Parts: sequence; structure tokens; C-alpha cells
Amino acid sequence: MSTNLISDALQRLRSEWSYTAYAAAANAVDAGATDLPEYRVAWLRNITVEPLLPVLKGEIALTGARPQVYLGSFDTIATEVLDSDSDLYRFKPDLIILSLWLEALNFRIARRFISLSAQGVETECAAILGDIERYLTAIRKKAPNAPILLNNFPLPDFTTLGILEASHKLSQSEVLQSLNLGIKEIASRIRDVYIVDFLQLFARIGSSQGFSSRDWHLSRTPYGRHALVPIGQEYGKFIRALRGKARKCLVVDCDNTLWGGVIGEDGLDGIKLGPTHPGSWYVEFQQEILNFHDRGVILALCSKNNEDDVLEVLQRHPSQVLREEHFALRQVNWDGKVLNLRRIAEQLNIGLDSLVFVDDSPLECGFVRQELPEVEVIELPTDPSKFRSALMSRSLFDTLTVSREDRERTRMYRADQERQKILENVGSLEEYLAKLQLTADIGIPDQSSVARVAQLTQKTNQFNLTTIRYTEGQIHSFVDGADSDAFCVRLADRVADLGIVGVGVLRYHGEQAVIDTLLMSCRALGRGLENTLAAFLVNTAQANGCSRILGYYRATKKNAQVAGFYEKLGFRSVRADENGSDWERRLDDAPLAYPRWMKVRISEPALRPKRTSATAW
Amino acid sequence: MDNNKNNNEEKLKQVMADVFGVPANTIDDSSSLETIERWDSTGHLNLVLALEEQFNVSFNEDQMTEITSYPLLKGVLQDLGVHF
Repeated sequence: MSTNLISDALQRLRSEWSYTAYAAAANAVDAGATDLPEYRVAWLRNITVEPLLPVLKGEIALTGARPQVYLGSFDTIATEVLDSDSDLYRFKPDLIILSLWLEALNFRIARRFISLSAQGVETECAAILGDIERYLTAIRKKAPNAPILLNNFPLPDFTTLGILEASHKLSQSEVLQSLNLGIKEIASRIRDVYIVDFLQLFARIGSSQGFSSRDWHLSRTPYGRHALVPIGQEYGKFIRALRGKARKCLVVDCDNTLWGGVIGEDGLDGIKLGPTHPGSWYVEFQQEILNFHDRGVILALCSKNNEDDVLEVLQRHPSQVLREEHFALRQVNWDGKVLNLRRIAEQLNIGLDSLVFVDDSPLECGFVRQELPEVEVIELPTDPSKFRSALMSRSLFDTLTVSREDRERTRMYRADQERQKILENVGSLEEYLAKLQLTADIGIPDQSSVARVAQLTQKTNQFNLTTIRYTEGQIHSFVDGADSDAFCVRLADRVADLGIVGVGVLRYHGEQAVIDTLLMSCRALGRGLENTLAAFLVNTAQANGCSRILGYYRATKKNAQVAGFYEKLGFRSVRADENGSDWERRLDDAPLAYPRWMKVRISEPALRPKRTSATAW
Repeated sequence: MDNNKNNNEEKLKQVMADVFGVPANTIDDSSSLETIERWDSTGHLNLVLALEEQFNVSFNEDQMTEITSYPLLKGVLQDLGVHF
């Protein structure tokens, strides 16, 4: 029971990453997680760090552990650290965090730098570094197995010498940087001490976001509320690495991820990838992924596409950064992403919890999150200028060179049960789709929609049974004609309205109806809309007095994925050769049902049969 | 307009629920630092930070000390432009 509350809270955390979501997750895991392994953190500090606790606890919970935190008394670091019998050591921590804020450590260097002579600066710095070395040495002796996290010092927002700061011989910023180098040097001499780079962190978020004068004076909390999540997450990165939870493999989608557009629709020349905007964002994104490759992260490709289309880009596009050889493996096919991710994990012999999945589709990401909670999902924002930071911010692959690498990470991902699970679980897909509250609105193209309908016939290549291109005028003719019908379908779900995404055209010849056109925009796939449209066309043919309906598949280079569409709907094969196939269905057969999770609304005009009498022909 | 008002009440209760680890439907006009176990000085700090994040406001010093109950919270948030 409580595990459900915790996993719900963690799922919410993963989609929000807000301070409030962290607080909720921390409370959930504090209340319930008695069966999870403990992770004990001792936190010593000379400032207030309590507001950071929810974020730290949330990060620990995300690694599958129950946080136990010992918070040292305010500014009693020396006594706690040097006394072998202190509460710190009795706590038997797995990890020790030392939070030292410069102003609390040495007021003069921080706030009155200009009052110090060169000699004075040297004395103060030696004292700071001396204390730090003494603390670390004592801890290492008395808690030999606990790694230590120690932050370095950020630069202040305004430095003492103003414009001279960067060129003056004895400047505050240079002294701070040499202090940081001193800390780094000490850490290198003591086993298992890691520097948490506050210099970089505060530079990244900026001093106006990072520091808070209000909170410093009111509660001795020097960092502002915008720094809470970044700081907590920074500690989280270390904890992940220490607990062997660093991920190993980055799985990327292709369309609208590595390049703008859809390769199957837009072709090599149409996708956005190149030295100028907007293609340049995708190039930058690919370069960052290549950086991960060079760092030793395994790359895998997972895309719903014809493999040839994708290979064409990898092999021949002049601006493509990631080539075939960069990917350890590819799953480019029409199977579900969940299935493909399982295959990737199995083929690489790594756990699902070693995968990071990057995709632009909220539908795909949502389903993977639901089915494979161990996989870390990065759902790309719609704006490609934000891709890089979406990928970089969680640092999921960080490991420590002096590592506590968990052998189990590379254990063989085995069991016949896993092979069983590889069959996609249709039941839970339905559950997921039902939650989306999908609505299909079927209507007749009119003044406002005919342009879009014609455009879809001209542009859609992949989910297109016959690939016949029509003009607006021709669509009008179908609508107005006595022996034909044209329909368009609009799809919306709980989150968004996808607009008009499907087109169907029927032609009537006596007792026979023919599906002249049945197409769907690729961004609407995977929700059962194609089956909805097909069912509507079949039912419409019946309402128009037909006794049978024919469907044609005309093969092109791009529409291989629909070769079996009519067969899956239960049509009977009439003819087949290398150019395509013809299919038929009797209209006194059982009617085609709409998918259970789809709410179907049909406009008045679309409901009225075109042919009113059975003897009309 | 009405929707907005309802949303902010719900939102406030949810933030308090998240920070103090209590169900949102137990928060009412009687909720205060005297009735909620985790509403101690640390909890209060965390509440301030969470509210600033969720409502995009900034409390001044006086307001921070004033907001010790649910009605007082609503009052101060209203002063800061949040509609209830």
C-alpha cells in the first residue's frame, strides 16, 4: 500500500521536478518505506540546510532507498568531527556531507576582503584550508568507509575591486579560486573525498537566483529558493554514482529528436539538420550526444521508421553528426518502443534501470514511463533550443573514478520470464490510452477544412493506403458528388488537440463501396484512430446500402507499414502482387467496432447517408 | 473567474499537503502551526519556499512571520495578488 504512495509521489516528481514535488516525495518515503534499504547521510554544516532536506531525501528515494538523515547541530563541525564518540560517528553514516559557506567560515575573506593585506590574506587562507584538512583527516580516520562530499566556494555577486578585479594582482576572485584549488588538492590526498562544484552551479543559475540576502539574514540560509532543487540534485548525482545507479546507455529516437521533421515524410532534403537555424539546434544536440559517446556511454537508436530511411540519414546526410558506428545497436522498426527498449536492454546485457530514453513524443514517453518505470525518460520539450539542457541537467551517466561500482549493474539480464514479458502487454496499453480521454470528431470537409484535407493527401506518405494526391477542387467534388463521400477526422486528447489528422474517401458503384483513400498523419498514430476511421467508412458504406466494401493497398517506398492493415481488420484478400493488394469485406459480416477507449463524435452531415434509397442506382 | 478562485484554494491546500505530509482534504480554516505536527520552524521555512515557487510570489519579512495558519495564508496571498 505504502509502496504505491511512494511510487506515485516519485512519478509526480519525475514529471515536475519542483520543490513542492520533492517535499511530497520526501514525506511519502518518510511515512512508508520500511522495506527499502536505508541510505544514511550525516550532514554537517555552518549554515541552515534544512530547506534542502526534501530535495536530498527525494533524490535518495529515486535511487530506491529510504533516506535516514542526521543533521549536525548548527556550526559545531569541529566538535562533532574531532570527537570519536560524537553523534556523528554513532550514526554510522553511509555518506557525510560537509556544507561550508565561506562567509560563515571566514567573514573577512568573504565580506571585508579589501581590509586585508597580502600577508593577511595568506594567513586567513591558510587557516581555512588548515581547518578543512583537519576535519577531513579526522573523519577519514573515524569513519573510514563513509565518502565525503565537500563543496567548493562560489564567486560572490559583486567583487570588491569592481572593474579592477580581473586584472589586479591581489583580487578576491583570484583568492577564492586559489582556495578552491587548495580544497581540490586536499581532496586528492584523502581517500573518497569528492568536491561538489558550487562554483559551477552558482555560475550556471546566476547570483540573483542563487543567493538570497533575505534568507541569509532571516534564517542563515545563504542560497535562494531557485537554488534548492539544483543544489539538492547536485548531491543526488553523487549519491547515484556512489550507489552504482549511474546509467549506462542512452537510447534516442530519430524524428524530431536528432533532426527536425519526419524522415519518412520529408526525405533527406526536407528534414531540418544543418549549419543554420533551425537545423543547427539539432546539430548541437547531436554533438552533445556524441560527447556522451566519447565519455563511454553506450548509444542506441530506437525509432518507428523504415530502417532504410534512417540509414540514409546516418550514411549520407552531410550535417549528420552521429553515424552508424556510434550506435551500439539500432531498433528501427514499427514495433512499440516498450518492446524495443526491452530488446535493447537484453541485447546489451544490462538492466532496464541502465537505460535513459530520449523522445519528443509525450504519448511514447508516457507509455514507457507507465510500463517500464525503471527506465529514465527524458521527454524533450517542443522547442529544440531547449533540447541540450533537457539532456544535460540530470547528469544521469556520471560515475566516480574511484567508484563503488555495483557488479550487479552488468549482471546478465536474464530469465525466461523476461522473454515472456517481451510480448507487448495489450491490456495495459488500453489502460493507458483510456486515460488519455481520446476523442475523434468525424465530419465532412468544408470551407474551413478542405485546404488541410487536400494538404494531407498531398503530404502524407507513410500511413497512406493508396497515396493518391488530391487538390481542394477534387475534394469538393467528392463531397458534392452523388456517388462519393469524403470525410476528415480530428483527434484530441486530454492534453492537446491534434487537429485534422485523417482523411477517408469512399466511392460507390452499385452495391459496392471502394475505399479510395484512407490516410493518417504520422503524429496521430498509435492511438487506434486509423481503426476508428476504417470502422466509420465501413459503417458508412453499409448505411449507403452497399453489400460489400473493397480496400486497396498500393505499395510505395514509404508505406510498407500499412501493407497488412486491411488484413488486421479482417478483410479478405482478393488479389496480391508486388504492386500491392486488394481486400474485400462483406457488409453483412459483423460490423467493425470502434476502439473501446475512443470517444467518437460524428457530425450531422457525416451521419446522413449520401444515397437515400436502396434502388438509387 | 470562479474556476480560478477554486483552483487557488485547492492549490494552496495541495502545497501545504505536500510540505507537511498530510492529506489535502484535512486542511481547513482551523489548520495552523498549532494543529499540524510538521509545521515547526523548519516546516515553516519549507512552506514559504514552496509557496513562493507555486504562486510565484515573494514574501517580505513581516509576511513570513504572519502566515501561521490557513486563513492567514489566504489573507497574505491575497495581498500579494492571488485571487481566492
